[in-house]
Amino acid sequence: MKKLSLSILTLGMILFLAPSQAVKAQSGTDTLAPQVTTLHDKVVGVEERLATAESSLDKLTKIKLSGYIQAQWINYEQSSVYPGNYFMIRRARIKFTYEPVNGINFVLQPDFQPGNITIKDAYVQANDPWIKTFSLWAGKFNRPNYEVEYSSSSREVPERSRVIRAIYPDERAIGAKLEINPQKFPLKIQLAIFNGNDGISITNPAFNYGTNTYDAPTTVGQNTDFDNAKDFMGRVTYAFRFGRVGGLTIGAHAYYGKIKANSLDVLNSDYTYNKTNSSIGATVPKQWIGFEGQLYLDVLGGLALKGEYIWGVNSTPGYSASASVKSSSTTGITDTLVVSNLTTTYIKSAPAISRKFSGYYVYLVKNIGKRNQIAVRYDYYNPNTGIGNDKIGTKDGSYDAKVADVTKTTKTDYSGSGPVVETKTMTKTTTANSLTSGTADIAYGTWTFAYSYFFTENIKFMVGYEMPMNKKVGTNDKGVGNVVTSYTVNNVKSTYDWSQAVKQNILTVRLQVKF
Amino acid sequence: MKRSNIITTMAGVILLAMITFAFMPAPKKITIKGSDTMVILAQKWAEVYMKSHPEVTLQVTGGGSGTGISALINGATDICNSSRPMKQSEIDKLKERYGSLGVEIRCAKDGITVYLNESNPVNELTIKQLSGIYTGKIKSWKEVGGPDEAIKLYGRENSSGTYVFFQENVVKGDYAASCQTLPGTSAVVNAVKNDKFGIGYGGAAYAKGVKHCLVKKDDKTPGYTASAETIKNGTYPISRYLYMYLRNRPTGEMKSYIDWILGPEGQKLVVDQGYFPVK
Repeated sequence: MKKLSLSILTLGMILFLAPSQAVKAQSGTDTLAPQVTTLHDKVVGVEERLATAESSLDKLTKIKLSGYIQAQWINYEQSSVYPGNYFMIRRARIKFTYEPVNGINFVLQPDFQPGNITIKDAYVQANDPWIKTFSLWAGKFNRPNYEVEYSSSSREVPERSRVIRAIYPDERAIGAKLEINPQKFPLKIQLAIFNGNDGISITNPAFNYGTNTYDAPTTVGQNTDFDNAKDFMGRVTYAFRFGRVGGLTIGAHAYYGKIKANSLDVLNSDYTYNKTNSSIGATVPKQWIGFEGQLYLDVLGGLALKGEYIWGVNSTPGYSASASVKSSSTTGITDTLVVSNLTTTYIKSAPAISRKFSGYYVYLVKNIGKRNQIAVRYDYYNPNTGIGNDKIGTKDGSYDAKVADVTKTTKTDYSGSGPVVETKTMTKTTTANSLTSGTADIAYGTWTFAYSYFFTENIKFMVGYEMPMNKKVGTNDKGVGNVVTSYTVNNVKSTYDWSQAVKQNILTVRLQVKF
Repeated sequence: MKRSNIITTMAGVILLAMITFAFMPAPKKITIKGSDTMVILAQKWAEVYMKSHPEVTLQVTGGGSGTGISALINGATDICNSSRPMKQSEIDKLKERYGSLGVEIRCAKDGITVYLNESNPVNELTIKQLSGIYTGKIKSWKEVGGPDEAIKLYGRENSSGTYVFFQENVVKGDYAASCQTLPGTSAVVNAVKNDKFGIGYGGAAYAKGVKHCLVKKDDKTPGYTASAETIKNGTYPISRYLYMYLRNRPTGEMKSYIDWILGPEGQKLVVDQGYFPVK
């Protein structure tokens, strides 16, 4: 009975409470519906914003940023350099690469120096999307050469070798390039055309402005050409692979160019007279060829032996600078008025010269573990193989020509009702045209030692020691070098006698951050 | 100090440093990073190897072939797993940084499988049709014998070796903008599993709960799925090697581990995990 009563009571409570729960559930659903709708709207809103953000982000992912900063302390042994040691920012570069569509790249790389920004790279690169073999470049970019194209951020020693710095100043040039690089064949062909004067300072002849002649040597801007001649370059490399042991890349490059002589006279490499141009717009040759090789071996870690030998003819334009004096005077003699005009012009000019040169570099690089790298380089550059060391700075190694003075006088008599006017116009022109061999012709052999420690993938510490050794020039009968240059530091005059080994070692301690 | 003395001293220091570092003991912890396609295989290899070699620690992570190769170049990993060969530009970076061309080891084979939803009536596609689908030229299943429904594209991120391989060998152009990129092959499989009109691609080992599409070289040839036989005899048109890359020739523990992978035990695990052996 008791159990029955309990059951009836329980059933009664269930029946009583059940509708109440149902009502509550119904009421809960009614309350939730608008919240769900609100949440749904919010999600849709977020999705829309996400889509917009993704679209914007897609555009940003087409821009790639990379770059590096090299801060260094440098110490010069050379006494003509003052201050002889200092901290400096050697390179601070950011490379912007924008790829609006697959295969088309716009690259801009400025170099930031305190108080100065220069454009290192600025080019468009179009890759063929079909067989992925051809790419066309236009703008300012590295000349096709192994050491030139090898990034300064990766180079194992502080600076490039002397021969490369001489024939490819500033490394980059303005022009166009076609690269042929088949995907599954280790051959690479580069064909380029450039203005040809990039990185070279050229002095223009004096110019006339109104009635005055100005001694106005000017330097041709880096962004404009100096002449109508264009320079051609070609480079071919082929890579062999020796299984897991390593590989060898061999190649050659050639340069075929001309540059405006900027002078009527042209000299040979040994400073003898070559020819007279019909105008200063005639060209002189810049032609050379080089052979290169890079051997990589896995000998207890990576080991690289790299080298290149280059020889040919490199020409330096001449110049013509003028100075003039113009005076006039008027004197009266009885009824005759004499007007005298005197113009004296002194034209100092230098002939263009085509120098035969040769140079090479050899690197030995050993990586030890992931963090340590040791490099040794020997490079040699003889800027003028056409003249012996004993002739540099001597009369045999110079050209000196003077053009005779030219004097012209005209006299005009005016007779009439007024006074007689006599005009005397005298023009005197003296031309000196000379060039003497000197430091620009001295050969150098340079040892460079460097140690690099990679703290992380981004941070590299390098110590480099460069030992340039000049070839000694001959001496005169007093035992003094045929080439002696003077310099002044802190008002103290000193000289270098190039018949001796001039101390010019350089110590570089560099910290590089790359990203 | 005379120049000749400086040069001799420098050369001596270099030689001494080379000898010292050459005989330093090899590390017992080996990091492996790269291909998501290979990650389940690499993890299995590591798991089994560490059981028999408790003194060695193998740390395996994915991220994609491109990520693995970058890690190898910047020194963040010892071994890189990659489902595509290294590009020349990547080898050049290794040369610049380590003076080495890297070491390539073919450790397994894989057939890139095209995934379809199990309810999709389409069973086979030619390479040309797949190219049309992934470049966006073919937009509806109707154009390839299916229902009149829009094709939903799923693919990998561009750091993936599978993405690159599929693009170079099948798509042969730019992927359609509508292709949804997903992190990892599992994500692609899941997306296709839940999307009736979806299509995806990835390693054969991941294809669980989706339909394997038969792939035809062209209209005239029969369609095949990736199998040990079709990959070995070359009839499956989208097969590839899977690679391990090292900076230098392996020594010590790393050499033992790689020898073991290429040996019978390692290659058996390749088959067990749904991949295909090298030989």
